[in-house]
Amino acid sequence: MARGWLYDGESAVRRDVEADGHGAESLRIELADGGRLDVPWELLCHVESRKGCEVYGRTDVKGWRLGLFSEGAEGLLPRMPRRQRYGGLIDRMGLGPAVVAGLLFSGLIVFIGFTAPTWLAPLVPMSWEKKFGDSLVGEWGGRFCKGPGGQQALEKLAGELSPRARDLDIRVVHAPLVNAAALPGGHIVIFDELLKQADSADELAGVLAHEIAHVERRHTTQAMIRELGVGVFVSAIGGRTGSNAETLLSARYSRGAESQADGDAIETLRRANISPLATAGFFDRLGRDEAKLGQAASALSYLSTHPLSAERRQRFRASAEKGRAYQPALNRDEWEALFNICFNDPRRGSDDLDFF
Amino acid sequence: MNDMQGLAGETRGEPDSAFRFEGDWREFLPIALTNLLLIVVTLGIYRFWAKARERRYLWSRTRFIDETLEWTGTGKEMLIGFLIVIMVVAPLAVGANLAIEALFLRGQGDLALLLGLGLYAIVFYMVGVAQFRALRYRLSRTYWHGIRGGSADGGWGYGWQFMWKTVAGFMVFGLLVPWSMTELWNDRWNRMSFGQHEFRAGADTHGLFHRWLIVYLVPVVAVIAVAAATGAMISLAAGPSEAAAAAFVFALLFVYLAFLLASLSYYAAYYRQVVNATAVAGIDFEFRARTKDWLKLILGNIGLVIVTLGVGLLFLGYRNWAFAVRHLEAAGEINLDDLLQSPFAATGDAEGLADAFDIGAI
Repeated sequence: MARGWLYDGESAVRRDVEADGHGAESLRIELADGGRLDVPWELLCHVESRKGCEVYGRTDVKGWRLGLFSEGAEGLLPRMPRRQRYGGLIDRMGLGPAVVAGLLFSGLIVFIGFTAPTWLAPLVPMSWEKKFGDSLVGEWGGRFCKGPGGQQALEKLAGELSPRARDLDIRVVHAPLVNAAALPGGHIVIFDELLKQADSADELAGVLAHEIAHVERRHTTQAMIRELGVGVFVSAIGGRTGSNAETLLSARYSRGAESQADGDAIETLRRANISPLATAGFFDRLGRDEAKLGQAASALSYLSTHPLSAERRQRFRASAEKGRAYQPALNRDEWEALFNICFNDPRRGSDDLDFF
Repeated sequence: MNDMQGLAGETRGEPDSAFRFEGDWREFLPIALTNLLLIVVTLGIYRFWAKARERRYLWSRTRFIDETLEWTGTGKEMLIGFLIVIMVVAPLAVGANLAIEALFLRGQGDLALLLGLGLYAIVFYMVGVAQFRALRYRLSRTYWHGIRGGSADGGWGYGWQFMWKTVAGFMVFGLLVPWSMTELWNDRWNRMSFGQHEFRAGADTHGLFHRWLIVYLVPVVAVIAVAAATGAMISLAAGPSEAAAAAFVFALLFVYLAFLLASLSYYAAYYRQVVNATAVAGIDFEFRARTKDWLKLILGNIGLVIVTLGVGLLFLGYRNWAFAVRHLEAAGEINLDDLLQSPFAATGDAEGLADAFDIGAI
């Protein structure tokens, strides 16, 4: 017999009890003011250890508490449920193994988190991405430039670079950014400030081929998944959610993806018989602008999303074949029409184009 | 026999309060360190269990008259409550953000703004609901003598109260903030109960307005003073010297400290006012922390964190709880025969909502 006390979970009154643990099925509790209680062993749980007293509960009655004084309960306590410390699972494993298991689990999660976009991207149907991209991009609030002949020239250039160019939606957008970007759903935008920096269609061809490679390699899809994943994760830990248009535009692809897109662009230029030296020269000129204006020049955002390492320029330069008769990407008239696609836009100067 | 005296100083040799904190930081240290270790290796998932362990310890070392409190909340239920809320909130937040983004890209800035404002209003409302539900959850998991607290209310009505009273408080140049804060305290606590007894809260703004005015006036006076000083300097044709710059930095620091002290003195008075106006089951509560006590707590917390190079962060919960219990008193008589179990179901959403918005309960 062990002495103790009991709260029945119905009333706040504390009653003195004696407990007898000899029963096979249940613990017998005798109340000092008369009456007895049999509690099946499997319903008992350990609640807390106090000085000279162990407290138990019933899993089926909330607030039911039995305190047993350690003194005189030496025979009974070993039969009672064991205490919990860290939580069920960790108590069963032990702290050391649980920490090791936790480390392995965290490593796995981080690994999956980093690699998931790469292997998930090809599984996303292009039609879904197209819908998502269309709803996101829309008409850019009418900021597409529509100078006569410009769009045809652009599409002709794209057609030379990719056999699937018809699935792409390539536009020149009037905005003060020296940049080009591949967006979800096969949308490629070239900002007219970048266009103005180009001296020839050949120079633009390298940039365009690079963006087309991002689309065809599903890098845009990967970036989108990463973006959404990060958004969900950020909202999951309670912070500000999601992203805005700016982060979507500046969503960086991994180094590997950039290098892959460059490789594809070089191969594309070779097939289309366009000189890669023009692209290398274009990068040289942008690089000089950067040195002049400083990296902080926000107008040169192309450089922040596509870092112009010497290695990149060298790669384009080295791919040029000596003595090969390269063809110009567009004829003079086509290039003029494309170059002036925003300048010749009939709506130029109207409020429509003054968004930024 | 079953009448418990909660009167101050009834037994000789005991501290003069019905509430007593019996914790020991050396006892808590292993809990804090293993919690940190497990949180780190589980990428934060263990934090729910860590919180439950911390509270189990703090509650079990808090004595009210003859018996300690008991925390029965579990890490599992807190994780589940959190996940439920996240499954609702995250898709809404991500969806709304995408929609706003798309509207902006399409040049429909007005619609995007409208959608953003709507989202803000919903979050505003939910913050109120979350505050209510977190308090309800804490009471429903707090046991004393085998009896717990709770509420039959879901907090949806409180969400509206929270919204309009907070807005009204900030109208009229924010002068009604003390009114809205005490009103909302009453609105929350008057819907709570312990056992079958309902809480009664009748806090008013007595002694709060003049402290709030000081909080409010410090920056105003500072701006006027700086403007006057600048004007004086210009009229004296004294160019900006190093001494003037140093004086300016010093003055800024002084204003900042004055603002902090004024806020602290307001909060100290607020907590004394609202706790002293709260009662349940024949027990009147009293909170005795004065501004200097709060100041000591905060300076102590900052000092601890700095001296221990951040490890002290683990102890802030402990210190804050101990502070609250040590300054809490109760008077009156509680009849244990008359204290019966709470008739309200103990709800399962834990503090998910409050957690999602990162707010406290009391």
